[in-house]
Amino acid sequence: MTQGEVINALARRRMLAAWMAREIVPHEAGMRAWLARARVSAEDIDELMQEAYCQIVSLPSVDHITAPRAYFMASLRHMMLRRIRRAQVVALDALGEVENWRDENIISPEDEAGSRIFYQRVMAIIAGLPERCRRVVELRKIEGWSQKDIAAHLGMSEKAVEKQVWVGVRAIREAWAKAEAQSAQRMDQAERGAGGVR
Amino acid sequence: MNQTREHDRDMAARFVARMDGDNWAEADEAELQLWLDGGPGREGLLLQAHAGWLAATPVAQEEEPATPAFWRRRGVLGAMAASVAAAVGAALWLDARSTFATRLGEIRRVPLADGSVMTINSGSELTVRMARGSREVEIAQGEAWFDVAKDATRPFTVAAGKVRARAVGTAFSVRRRETGVEVLVTEGVVESWSEGDESLRLRLVAGERALLSDTAVVHHESDRASAVDRTLAWRSGMIDLNGTSLSEAADEFNRYNQRQIIIADPAVADEQFDGLFRINDPQGFAQAVKASLNVGIDESDPRVIRLTKSQ
Repeated sequence: MTQGEVINALARRRMLAAWMAREIVPHEAGMRAWLARARVSAEDIDELMQEAYCQIVSLPSVDHITAPRAYFMASLRHMMLRRIRRAQVVALDALGEVENWRDENIISPEDEAGSRIFYQRVMAIIAGLPERCRRVVELRKIEGWSQKDIAAHLGMSEKAVEKQVWVGVRAIREAWAKAEAQSAQRMDQAERGAGGVR
Repeated sequence: MNQTREHDRDMAARFVARMDGDNWAEADEAELQLWLDGGPGREGLLLQAHAGWLAATPVAQEEEPATPAFWRRRGVLGAMAASVAAAVGAALWLDARSTFATRLGEIRRVPLADGSVMTINSGSELTVRMARGSREVEIAQGEAWFDVAKDATRPFTVAAGKVRARAVGTAFSVRRRETGVEVLVTEGVVESWSEGDESLRLRLVAGERALLSDTAVVHHESDRASAVDRTLAWRSGMIDLNGTSLSEAADEFNRYNQRQIIIADPAVADEQFDGLFRINDPQGFAQAVKASLNVGIDESDPRVIRLTKSQ
């Protein structure tokens, strides 16, 4: 593999991740809530999500996807139906939930309040990181500095900065999952309060 | 099973952190491919961790001056800012905390939500907290100049270590140095003190400067206003020398530039020097020194400029 190919592979991976960050991550809460209502266990939700992410990676391109969230939902739905069939014991109401799914049913509070809530969540996640890690992540994410610049500024080695970013990536991933769970709970309550849409 | 997945997640995060750095090379790509091929679903975990990391990039909201404009410059989520719903009021933003940092040679002007303006000098880092009853800035490193909007109900306090400087509506700068904290007042009145030692309370008026350590007032002088202005020439990208020793002048330039000035001849270090220079032009300064002080310049190393004995 030449250096050029390495750079291309990295750029491709970054573009796809940025696309997912923009189109899917903000809506994961709604999707997880929907899966939870269809009686999917938390562990299975994790697995389905991972599987759906894998499916995206396997595509030669995402350019043709004009409605990313709907596409991702359809993909989750398809995988879930396959699981239910494989399990043979068909939980009727679970199936009903899957079949009844409409995109408009999963408009999450996040969508309604716009990106501001999403932004607040991002800031809260960053603020909650351990001190050393938080400084590095703030410089990287808020200031947009390179790891190299951060290393020079804080008098750390680049490896040490990378280590803090690693801690940050892991913590942020967990924080998203937690925020999603909380948001799903809120939404469930809101729905019940509204007289049981389901 | 769960442990394996935990470990996989950990590895995915590790690769994302490495890709986020500046040194991704063939060996890294090969190592990643090997890992990806080593277990099912790893592609998905990697994309998930990567997307989560990229999603955690704050994007500024247009109508909020408290949010520095530069937050937008790298936002991968730029498109989202366009669909802002203004329903959520500004109340959420009170108590908001923002951190600002400047690189070597970077000077940045940042308007704050209350109408104040701060200008941050090279190599600095500070945090701003705007609350209902107070405006607080904490300098972790470096220097900034503040043009404070008048608001008697919300005192504007700058903290650097234990040293505090407070103003209601005025203009002043605070610089955190190794020897202490320097407060310079360009307009109005500033009150400064050290947390835990009330005896150090000091009132500084326009044209005055003080160097305070955590436990003592090291230096206090009533400069002429012009000298204070000169010290703050960096705000317009200049260094204004007036009877400054060559070693101090070199320190000033080294504050802003990668290319450092080294005085190799101690005999000239105390020579005094006058002149107005561009902050990012150490070469120009060296040339001027050469012309007036009769020293030599060695520029053979691109990282340094050496002032030597004249040949």
